[in-house]
Amino acid sequence: MKIIVAVKRVVDYNVKVHVKTDGSGVDIANAKKSMNPFDEIAVEEAVRLKESGLASEVIAVSIGVAQCQDTLRTALAMGADRAILVQTDAEVQPLAVAKLLKALCEKEEPFIVLVGKQAIDDDSNQTGQMLAALMNWPQATFASKVEIEDNTARVSREIDGGIETVEISLPAVITADLRLNQPRYATLPNIMKAKKKPLEIVTPESLGVDISSRLKTLRVAEPPKRATGVKVNDVADLVAKLKEKLKGTGVMVWPV
Amino acid sequence: MFLSTEHQQVADMTRRFADEVIRPEAERLDREEVFAAEIYQEMAKNGLFGIMTPDTYGGAGLDCLAYSIVMEELSRGYASVADQCGLVELLTTLLCTYGTEQQRNEWIGPLIRAEKRGAYCITEAGAGSDVSGVKTTAVRKGNGWVLNGSKLWIHNAPVSDVAFVLARTNPEAGKRGMSIFIVDCNESGVFRGPKEHKLGQRSSQIGELSFTDVKLPEDALLGTEGRGFHMMMSVLEKGRVGIGALAVGIIQAALEASVEQAKLRQQFGHAISEFQAIQFMLADMAKDAEAARLLVRSAAMKLDAGVDAAMASSMAKCFAGDAAVLHTANAIQIFGGSGYIRGYEVERLFRDAKITQIYEGTNQIQRVIIARKLLQ
Repeated sequence: MKIIVAVKRVVDYNVKVHVKTDGSGVDIANAKKSMNPFDEIAVEEAVRLKESGLASEVIAVSIGVAQCQDTLRTALAMGADRAILVQTDAEVQPLAVAKLLKALCEKEEPFIVLVGKQAIDDDSNQTGQMLAALMNWPQATFASKVEIEDNTARVSREIDGGIETVEISLPAVITADLRLNQPRYATLPNIMKAKKKPLEIVTPESLGVDISSRLKTLRVAEPPKRATGVKVNDVADLVAKLKEKLKGTGVMVWPV
Repeated sequence: MFLSTEHQQVADMTRRFADEVIRPEAERLDREEVFAAEIYQEMAKNGLFGIMTPDTYGGAGLDCLAYSIVMEELSRGYASVADQCGLVELLTTLLCTYGTEQQRNEWIGPLIRAEKRGAYCITEAGAGSDVSGVKTTAVRKGNGWVLNGSKLWIHNAPVSDVAFVLARTNPEAGKRGMSIFIVDCNESGVFRGPKEHKLGQRSSQIGELSFTDVKLPEDALLGTEGRGFHMMMSVLEKGRVGIGALAVGIIQAALEASVEQAKLRQQFGHAISEFQAIQFMLADMAKDAEAARLLVRSAAMKLDAGVDAAMASSMAKCFAGDAAVLHTANAIQIFGGSGYIRGYEVERLFRDAKITQIYEGTNQIQRVIIARKLLQ
């Protein structure tokens, strides 16, 4: 009853990033990096499943440069049992990540793969879905609640306008949304213990996976600057100005 | 400074904890002058007490560099909370270094789980910078001791469960005639004074702790009789690293608030961050924060390496404390009138900073130590 949880090393959510002047990408070379917040939620859920006796082992996986070991150490300090780094300096796109995870799934045979619903750097929101397709496994994305019973998972999903509850058979892929849980802090004693937990390093070649890019970035641009706002005196003034602004658009302002 | 993976993790974790748990409460804790009991429970759960205590006693088992990092990040959230961590660290260090196995087992766990509140008692009315002026006495009687005297400005005194008290055991032997006693504050004859109302770090409960014919068992003595002064002093270098780091945390909080304000505040049609007068204040604040941080970490690494850290820890504490007072004043200058108003973070930081020039050895004493080393 293993769980694989995938964690991505991304620019820290507190860092304000800027587009490179030549428009070739976002300048993140010297920015602070940390674990993708949605992946942190995925790790927390995996560790909770293990703590409640529903899983036997939590394996944290990361894909990328050697420094991803730091991200894995954080996952280990949060409670993962061991870690695997698929080390590469190349850009790894969602399909390549899914293929690498597939190779690890075939080797480790987990009953659940937990990933964040998306990474806060490129916001692709694809890896979990692609992995489920490649494995031909059920998937439950945007999870806000996970309950495991026998060979099924009941997952509440955050969808537009409400919560949808689905039941899927295991093994399956579950992607974590913001409200699934509140991740714990890696406590100081656990940071020390994490130093001694096993961290295995493999390569895409050793897993026999072709990670070449399928997408090409043509240009990256800053979003348009926000226009200057308008000051209003009171609510009545606000409503009047909104009405004026929306005249002829078919949008109603309430109270009319 | 480049940190190892573990030290960086410790920094990240503590910073996040401070941002989420401590910082939102700082203004209220300061205003109400209350003991931050809930925060200490949370800190205990996350291993933020007993940073250098070995894991066999339930501590985190980290080094002094990690301790300095924790102190800085906690203090960036709120200095009083960091000072509680520093206090527990000193007491557990005394126990780990000099305590018997029984004393360690009895006190370390409850202290780092924040179940018991400890007090570290040196200062008296006539013994501040001059510790040799201690008048509190412990006299042998039967199989134990009888303690008499009064300690002033004692951190945690109003809420203390256990006190580590420096007392004279041989009136003729000067500094070699003092010993440390572990005193259960629930014993009869122990008086906990009311909390003092302070300028800053107002969540820290400070007061008098006095002892009238308090009967102590034989095993209340910590370490060797007559070595109390030396033992108290031996942990002060680590204490100075801690307070230096605490001061760095205050500067860092002032810097972040000042940068934000300078970019927001508009005057003469420009953000005030566009004026060099403001830029230079920010630059000086940043460079002194970094210089103080490096001095603190250098002293911490000396302690970790087991080499003489007396001068380094005095330099770190003195420089960081002076810089904290100067730059929190400048932070108020950048905020202008609003920085002088209660409820603004920089107003509190200025008040919180002042004591870092006074406690853990005044900055005058630190200069004496530095000069003595230079001239010896």
